[in-house]
Amino acid sequence: MRPPGSRSLRNSWQLLAALTGRDLRLRYQGSVFGWAWSMVRPLSYGLVLYFAFGVILKAGFKDYPLFLMSGVFPWFWFQGAVQQSATVFVGNGGLLKKVRFPRIILPLSIVMGNTLQFLLTVPVLVIFLVAAHRAPHWSWLITLPMLFSIQMLLTIGVCTLLASLTVFFRDLEHITEVVLNLLFYATPILYDISRIPEKYRWVAWVNPYSVLAEGWRGAIMSGHWPGLQIVACLGWTAAFLVAGFVVFRRLEDSFADVV
Amino acid sequence: MESAAFKVPAATDIALSLSHVSKRYSMVTAGSGELKATLLHPMRALRHRQPHATLWAVRDVSLEIPRGEFFSIVGANGSGKSTLLRVMAGLSRPTGGRVVASGRLSTLLELGSGFHPNVSGRENAIINGLLIGMTRREIESLLPRIIAFAGLQEFIDQPMRTYSSGMYVRLGFAIAAFMEPEILLVDEVLAVGDGRFQEKCYDHIASLRERGVTIVMVSHDLGAVERFSTRAALMERGRMVRIGDPHEIVQHHLERLITTSPEIRRALDEAIEEHPEILEAAAFSSPEAQAAFERELEANPAFHAALAEKVAREGVPARRAPRVGTYPDPDSDGDGDPDRATGAGEQHQR
Repeated sequence: MRPPGSRSLRNSWQLLAALTGRDLRLRYQGSVFGWAWSMVRPLSYGLVLYFAFGVILKAGFKDYPLFLMSGVFPWFWFQGAVQQSATVFVGNGGLLKKVRFPRIILPLSIVMGNTLQFLLTVPVLVIFLVAAHRAPHWSWLITLPMLFSIQMLLTIGVCTLLASLTVFFRDLEHITEVVLNLLFYATPILYDISRIPEKYRWVAWVNPYSVLAEGWRGAIMSGHWPGLQIVACLGWTAAFLVAGFVVFRRLEDSFADVV
Repeated sequence: MESAAFKVPAATDIALSLSHVSKRYSMVTAGSGELKATLLHPMRALRHRQPHATLWAVRDVSLEIPRGEFFSIVGANGSGKSTLLRVMAGLSRPTGGRVVASGRLSTLLELGSGFHPNVSGRENAIINGLLIGMTRREIESLLPRIIAFAGLQEFIDQPMRTYSSGMYVRLGFAIAAFMEPEILLVDEVLAVGDGRFQEKCYDHIASLRERGVTIVMVSHDLGAVERFSTRAALMERGRMVRIGDPHEIVQHHLERLITTSPEIRRALDEAIEEHPEILEAAAFSSPEAQAAFERELEANPAFHAALAEKVAREGVPARRAPRVGTYPDPDSDGDGDPDRATGAGEQHQR
C-alpha cells in the first residue's frame, strides 16, 4: 500500500540489484576463497553422491559424475532460493515496520542472488562435460535458456508464496527444510525416471521439479529436448506464480502488523 | 500497485486527509502455537474458535492537514499516536476509514532502519536512499551533502559496526532529511543523539517547513511542539480529542496527563505519604510527566507538603529513570512496538 507516484520502476530495479549485491558480498566477506565456495558446496555434495551411489552401490549410469552434476547444480539453485525465502520477511521485520518499499523485492532478491550463484557454477559443469568428452549441442541455444527461464519463474512463484505464508505460520520454515530434503530424493536427480517402478512413477510426475531435473540432464548430457511433460511443468509454474502473487497481495499489508 | 486505502486526489491544498480512520490490533498473534493446536485438534480448534481479544489503537480519526502545515500530535503513552502515524505513512493498513496523501511522502520513524553493520556507511546510505524511493543518481548527487551534514567524512567507507550509536543516527537522519519530501512524518526520532545534533535536526526541519514541506510530528518533547507547530492535536485512548493551537493543546495535555497517564495515575492512587519514591520516579520519568507534576504540585498543597518533607529529610531528589521492574516502562507505547519503546526510553536519561 503505497501512495501512487512515489516510486519509479528504475528505483525498484536499483534497489533489487543493490540488495542482491550486498547479500552476496556479505555471504563471502572475509573468507579467503570467497566466490569459490558457491561452487564447492554443490560440487562436494555431488562427489559424495557419486562415491555412495556410483562407486559403492554401482548405480550403473553412463558418465555418472556428469549425470549427477547436471542435476545437482540446478537443484542447489532451486533449493537455496526456496530455503532462504522462507525467512526473508520474518528476518527483515524491522525494515517492514519502518520503511515503505515494494515488499516483493525481498523474495526477488533471494531468487536473484541464488541465480547469480548458479550462473557462477556453470564453469564447473563445463569441466565435467569436457571430462566426459561431450561436444556442445545446437539444441542448447534453445533448451538451456528455456529451462533456465522456467526454473527461474517457478522459483519466484514458490519463494513468493512461501515467504508470505511463513509470516503467519512460522513452522513453514522447518517444514520447508524437511520437504526440500525429501523432494531431493523423490526427484530424478540421482537416478533417471526410467528407474522408478511403473507404479510409483506418478510420484515423480506430480513433483513440479522432476520435469526440470529430467530436462536439465537430458539437455546437458545428450542434447535432448524436454518431453511433453514440460507442459505440466509450465502449468505448475503458472500455478505457483499466480498463487504466490495472489497470496502476497492479500497478506502484504499485514506483514508490518505481524512480524 | 495502489491499494484501496490510497487514491490519487485531485490537485488540492490538502496534503493529508484522514476520514474515520480506525486501527484494530488482535492481541493474540497468529503463531506456531496456534498452528500446532489446529493441526493436532482440528475439530476442537474449529468449534472453540475464540474471538480474539482486540485493541482499538486508533478510533475514528478524521483530519485534514493543509499543505505546508507543521502538525504535532501529543498524547500519553498508549494513546495511539504512533500507530496513527504508521497508518498515515502507509506502513499499516487502517482497519476502517481512508487515508489520502498527496505528494511525495517520507517518514522519519526510526533512523537507520535497514543499515547493515558489515557494510560501509556509504553503501548503507545508498541502499537506505533506494529503500525510501530515491534513484541511485539522486542519492549519489546528494551523498556529499549527506556525509557533511552527518559529519562522517573520514568514516564513511568504514563498515558501520565500527560506528557509535550517535554516528548511526546522524547518518540515518541526514539521508531521510535530504530526500526532499513533500510530506514528512516524524516520530520521536529526535529524542536520540546528542543535544547539538538535535538542534541541527530541528533547524533542518524548520528549514523544510519554510520551503513548504508538510510535517506531521509525534512527540513527547512539548517544548519542540510549541516551538515549531502551527497546529497540534491531543490523542487519548485512540481518539483525537482536541485539535487546535499548540500552546493550548500542550497545556490541556499536561492537565489531562494526571488522569490519562497510567504511571502518574498509579502514583496518585497509591498512598503518596507511604511511598514518596513512586511519586518521584513517576514525576521524573519523562520531561512531560515532570512538567505535569510541577503544575500539580503548585495546585495541590498536599503533594507539595509530602515532597517538601521528603526533600528536607533526604535532600533534593536525584533525577533518575524509574527502576526497571517496579514500574511499567513509562515510554512503552502499548502498541506492541518494542523498538519505539526502547528508542524513546533513552529520552528521559538525558
